[in-house]
Amino acid sequence: MSNGNARTWHASDGLIARYADGSLPEPDAWSLEKHLEGCAGCAARVSRAVHGTAAGAVLAQVRESVLAAAPPVLKQVAPEAPPAPAPPRLARLLWAVGPAVRGAWLPAVLLVAVGAMALGYGGGFPDARALLLAIAPVVPVAGVALSYGPHADPLYEVVAATPAGGLRLALTRTAAVLGVSLPLLTVAGLLLPASGAPAAAAWLLPGLALTLGSLALASFVGCRTASGVTAGGWLCAVLAPVSAAPADGAGARLAEQLSRCLDGTGTQGAWAAAAALSAALLVARRPAYDRLIRS
Amino acid sequence: MGGQREKDGAGDAALLRAVAAGDPAAMADLYDRHAGWLHARLTRRCADPEVVREVLQDTFVTVWRSAAGHRGEEAGGWLWTIAARRLVDARRAQERAARVAGPPLEPEPHGGYEPAASAEDRVLAGLEYGDVGAALDRISPELREVLRATVVDGLSTREAARLLGIPEGTVKSRARRARAELRTALGHLNPSPLGGMA
Repeated sequence: MSNGNARTWHASDGLIARYADGSLPEPDAWSLEKHLEGCAGCAARVSRAVHGTAAGAVLAQVRESVLAAAPPVLKQVAPEAPPAPAPPRLARLLWAVGPAVRGAWLPAVLLVAVGAMALGYGGGFPDARALLLAIAPVVPVAGVALSYGPHADPLYEVVAATPAGGLRLALTRTAAVLGVSLPLLTVAGLLLPASGAPAAAAWLLPGLALTLGSLALASFVGCRTASGVTAGGWLCAVLAPVSAAPADGAGARLAEQLSRCLDGTGTQGAWAAAAALSAALLVARRPAYDRLIRS
Repeated sequence: MGGQREKDGAGDAALLRAVAAGDPAAMADLYDRHAGWLHARLTRRCADPEVVREVLQDTFVTVWRSAAGHRGEEAGGWLWTIAARRLVDARRAQERAARVAGPPLEPEPHGGYEPAASAEDRVLAGLEYGDVGAALDRISPELREVLRATVVDGLSTREAARLLGIPEGTVKSRARRARAELRTALGHLNPSPLGGMA
């Protein structure tokens, strides 16, 4: 190599051999290195020469690793792309919407409905509807407790940090809970003999009020505690006089107490007012849902 | 030979396209063509064979991902750019491991480090090769190191500083001194601007 113009010369075999074994002095090496960047032919010759030196073993090892590191997407996409599409958006939405609906709560709701039917028709228990009405408002409240919060959702901290988290998600999941429990329990109540108990749909407003109350209370103490308070309060109010009554009159006392709690325009109006009040409180407490709620 | 070179160059571009599509045979071919000289060049810049091996492997693993970004430039130069950056990164990691409580290194602003033609570039490009070679032999090794990192390897001042483990200011001052010494050495070698060394 007689001059510095990289395009007019190619490396001699002697130069390549000395570069490959590391004995070429610096300025000559620089010149060759610059030339190799642009001359694929000389690059291949130098690479072959280096393969023949002590570095050959290392080069072979690295070659294995590099070929093993082929991007996995390209291997998988071709055969697996058609059989593994993302599940349809609606299915994912339904799956995500209710931890309660896909957990133990759904069998529990079904058990309440089917159990009431079995008692009413199979067991000859005349006050099945009263019992169902006493329990029904608690069912969506339990669903709320299982829908949102650190104990209900393993990804709660992550979800709470997303824009769709917080109250919006809690309401979406509550809607899923109500969407399952309201029709199921109301239809079950309609199918049962009345026998002095209030109408089958009478529990709807109290159920809504208790659910919204639980959500509003949850912004202070967390979903689980709030649900425990509202559901426990309802059960105490409805069942307390019954436990004091003699055993044979329990059904009648329950129906009587339920009538007091559910029947009449004034009572239903009060429940509606309670629901509206809870909704207002929930709106006011909305920012609390943007922070992490304690269990 | 020129036709051969063109064909090889086109071959490299085709190989990179195939690598971008995930073809292992193309990667094997590309590796066989270029890994050897990259290894030799890295070895001249890093005494630790384990680091050289890691950098070489990182370079080609990166090629799997970024082959699609190759825009028809010389494949050899493109590969060396990746390898040089990987070497700088490896040095940085080593340094970080060495001194745990050092000053924080700001992130490298990627892109746009294409070095402008420096005085050294002009010196190297404009003079007879033999003269520069002899002159380079005369300047001190640490100045040569700086010239190699900035001029030959195309690193930015910051990258050269990381590679050599010296402050950026030192890189700049050494580059200045290297230029001055090179000029002096060339003056000794070649008193007449037009006459060449025999």
